[in-house]
Amino acid sequence: MNIVDIRLKKLKPSPWNPNRMEEAIVARLKSSLARYGMVEPLVVRPISDYYEILGGNQRFKLISEIGLDPVPCVIVDLDDTQAKILAQALNGLHGEDDLGLKAKILTEALQTISPKELISILPETADSLKSLSQINEIDMAEHLQAWNKAQKGKLRHLQVQLTSDQMAVVEKALNLILPEVKAGEASSPNLRGCGIYLICKSFLEWRDRQ
Amino acid sequence: MELKCIDSPIISAGGVIGSTASNHEVKAGSNPSPALQSIRAKPIPPVIAKTVIVKNHYLHTFPAATMLCFGAFMDDRLLGAITFGCGPANAYRMVEGVTQEDCLTLSRLWLSDELPSNSESRFIGICLKYLKKYTQVKFVVSYADPEQGHVGTIYQATGWIYTGLSVATPRVDIGDGVLRHSRSISHSLGSHATGFMRDCGLKTKIIPQSRKHRYIYLLNQECQKMLKPAILPYPKLSGRSGE
Repeated sequence: MNIVDIRLKKLKPSPWNPNRMEEAIVARLKSSLARYGMVEPLVVRPISDYYEILGGNQRFKLISEIGLDPVPCVIVDLDDTQAKILAQALNGLHGEDDLGLKAKILTEALQTISPKELISILPETADSLKSLSQINEIDMAEHLQAWNKAQKGKLRHLQVQLTSDQMAVVEKALNLILPEVKAGEASSPNLRGCGIYLICKSFLEWRDRQ
Repeated sequence: MELKCIDSPIISAGGVIGSTASNHEVKAGSNPSPALQSIRAKPIPPVIAKTVIVKNHYLHTFPAATMLCFGAFMDDRLLGAITFGCGPANAYRMVEGVTQEDCLTLSRLWLSDELPSNSESRFIGICLKYLKKYTQVKFVVSYADPEQGHVGTIYQATGWIYTGLSVATPRVDIGDGVLRHSRSISHSLGSHATGFMRDCGLKTKIIPQSRKHRYIYLLNQECQKMLKPAILPYPKLSGRSGE
């Protein structure tokens, strides 16, 4: 493979390139180029007095901004059809990350680099980096014990449907009991829930007295 | 995932006294190969489990009510995931005197074909053992869809109790072609009663759903005495299966 340095003024992006990149990813690509330089050559083909870029169109847009000139290129001599097919292959053929292995790499990287810096280079978001770095970090037994504890303390939902008239009665009763809830020691942070509980408790106590 | 034939004889359901961790260990854990022994179960964040399940599980969906997610790891590679959730609202009623919190549903399981044979049994077994040891969950329910050619081979191999076909809750089409669960209708409208929906001006259609093979794994043996449905013989694979 012949890699040659070509001046930026001799390079042009391919007008038919369908690949698009989100702004957030462009920013990361720029950070990566600034940090590591042009570690992968562009793939180009000669067209009259210039070279058309088949692989690396997104990087080309950023190269001039970070002051790289000339840039390493691999020159291929292909007709239009073959050039477009190669560009598609370069853009579309890539493997898929094993999330376990990726998590291990990122966790190791986070020992020496801050999450913010890592996010500025990689496609990860703060949330996805956090999720990935949690893999291998959580102990099964501790996780289940914490989950079990949370289940015990979890507030339960009670969903009921009421007509407008019924709702007015329930609201009236709740408004009457809420000062008592606020004054007392609530067994749950949900005051209206505590109110309903006290009303039901009063009813049961009243029924027992009958 | 490719169907794994279980070579060892399956405990006949008629002879199942209870699904215990010990009979699971006999099936998949008594003498596991070194490859099987290297499978590790670890908690994974729901977003990671979702990525794995949506991409690889045949339903390509992630259950909304997921509560616990574990990854299947081998040599640091994430090669599968299992999810447990609160599942069907009435599932816990199969055991007398328990609450919804006592029951979990094994809602999704996917393992890569790169893992060795019987990995499903091994992985499920590890997860159930942890649930039994570190939580107060009393039993786990799971379903196998006969429409997909599934009879629950993995559950049979790991000693779950078979309780027959589930009662399938029909879905409701409120005229837009989307099949909704009655709970979803109740959330939106306040009720899923047919008369109520008619009064709302909706032309509803009730769409029956297929019944599924229902299995129970008891983590607490006390539940055995309180189990309401009869314990039935395991269904057999007929013809081609997607399991």
